[in-house]
Amino acid sequence: MDRVRAAAGATRRALPFLLRGLVSSVVALVLLIRVLLVAVFTLIGVGWLAIPSTVRAVRRWARGERRRVANFTGRPVPSPYDPSDDAPAVPARVLLAEPATRRDLGWMLFHALTGLVIGVVALLLPLSVVNAAVVPIYWSAMPEDDPVQSPYPVTSWLDALGMLPLGLGWLVLTLVLVPLLARWQAGLAGLLLRPTKDARLTERVTELTATRAAALEAHGAELRRIERDLHDGTQNRLVGVIMHLGIAERALRREPESALPLLLKAQNQAADALSELRDVVRSIYPPILAERGLDGALAALAARCPVPCTLRAAGLRRLPAALEAAAYFVVAEALTNTAKHSGAEHAEVTVALRPPTGPDEEEALVIQVRDDGHGGAAESGGSGLAGIRRRVAAFDGRTEVTSPVGGPTVVEAVIPCGS
Amino acid sequence: MRVVIAEDDTLLREGLVLLLASEDIEVAAAVDNADAFLAAVAEHRPDAAVVDVRLPPGFTDEGIAAAAAARRERPGLPVLVLSAYVEDSYATELLADGADGVGYLLKERVGKVEQFLDALRRVVAGGTVMDPEVVSQLMVRRRSDDPIRTLTPREREVLALMAEGLANPDIAARLVVTETAVSKHIRSIFAKLGLAHGDTGHRRVLAVLAYLKS
Repeated sequence: MDRVRAAAGATRRALPFLLRGLVSSVVALVLLIRVLLVAVFTLIGVGWLAIPSTVRAVRRWARGERRRVANFTGRPVPSPYDPSDDAPAVPARVLLAEPATRRDLGWMLFHALTGLVIGVVALLLPLSVVNAAVVPIYWSAMPEDDPVQSPYPVTSWLDALGMLPLGLGWLVLTLVLVPLLARWQAGLAGLLLRPTKDARLTERVTELTATRAAALEAHGAELRRIERDLHDGTQNRLVGVIMHLGIAERALRREPESALPLLLKAQNQAADALSELRDVVRSIYPPILAERGLDGALAALAARCPVPCTLRAAGLRRLPAALEAAAYFVVAEALTNTAKHSGAEHAEVTVALRPPTGPDEEEALVIQVRDDGHGGAAESGGSGLAGIRRRVAAFDGRTEVTSPVGGPTVVEAVIPCGS
Repeated sequence: MRVVIAEDDTLLREGLVLLLASEDIEVAAAVDNADAFLAAVAEHRPDAAVVDVRLPPGFTDEGIAAAAAARRERPGLPVLVLSAYVEDSYATELLADGADGVGYLLKERVGKVEQFLDALRRVVAGGTVMDPEVVSQLMVRRRSDDPIRTLTPREREVLALMAEGLANPDIAARLVVTETAVSKHIRSIFAKLGLAHGDTGHRRVLAVLAYLKS
């Protein structure tokens, strides 16, 4: 019984898919004629002007096919096209050289030839079931010289009742064949319409090149920030110390009692220099990370946060230092935002390792900071969120911020562990 | 003596004012950016200007440009440029339109008040002051066949002090030798390096620095 129910469900899903396939195969036939005409005219020498628009028409159709397959399988079919193809004046030969174009045409040809037949079969099978079921009701109403004909002439009650087992046969055939045809069509379409492995790799390389550039940019910005902090902060404070000691030295020679305030000033500036130096060091690599690991460092952050904060970060192993530092700053920055802007009464930090979710995936560190504040965090408002994004992007990671007005605000960063 | 100060760090600016004031040097104005500095120079017509290299808004080398602009407005205005680190290319830029009355020092030199005041006075008197750090940067970048390698240690010391802008009596005092001995060393240095003898003051500094930079 369960199997019948499962087959019925599969058929219900498969039918609309195949019927849409019927329509798209008719479109494919028309497009096929257009492609052939353009090909012939190109051989004569004038057709090449029509190539780009024809390729685009085929692509529009193929996009529809991708959506149709995705609706049926529930898995999106990635687009194989070079994003730069959207530019208005891409030459014909560039478009033709793309493997995606040839594969689109391949599916179009195949679907134009098979989709119509499959669609008609998928349409007729259930109709036959219905017909066989209702023949016993209406056969007698038919004129005697033109009786029900399919698949045999029905002229008696016996003939009519014979329709019932026949209908059952049609039903079994429908339940078996329709889902099978749909799976077969979706599988083949998916195979031809998704990017080739080469294309996927090319896309990955482009992505990695971009993230590497972002990483270099982030690194450069970081170096400039450290230089500025040291130059304008610590260095100037130390110059101040030396200067005041110099003035004090001269004062000691002339009127010793005036030297004391100068010495105190020098002392204060030395203390300032030290505390600024500590801040710079912490901003480069928080010493607590080295001492306590990421979970310990995060616990310290959570404890320091003015908004009561729950931390869930059990079972983290040691990760590369740069990664731990990035995770630490993401949490620190997010908690600072929470404390400063959200008006939250409670914050929650969750940090966990996520095992690879697919063959192309890596293990990733998932960092989530959630608060129950009033939401509406704007990326442009402070540079806090932008800073988080930059740091995470440098590791080929992704940041998602959801902060509807009224809250809650959730900052989630996923950083691949890269090993 | 009246000076104008351009330094963006408040504590350092106040420190400089205090230091100069306690040495009876009048600070006509102490400002924190290049535009205010140029305005103050035009308004107060000081005897000298003390300028930080890094000023807002860009915090790069606005001070160098401001010093050059001030000297275009008032040719010969003595300018002492202070910097948190030295870069010999900045020194070259400063000396580009005349080395008389130009100084370039690391900020922490102000701590040795006596020497700092001496440097300021030399700049005001039209001399040239180069930070020893600039000179030693230039000295280390020599090829192995450089004639500088034929100088004796004492001659190298004398060369460095010349490059810093010291005159013969000062060199003699620093090295605790007689002026005659210094003159002898200088003649020997010029002969070994193939420089024209006879230049004095800032022209000698320029010649020595040009040699070191080549």
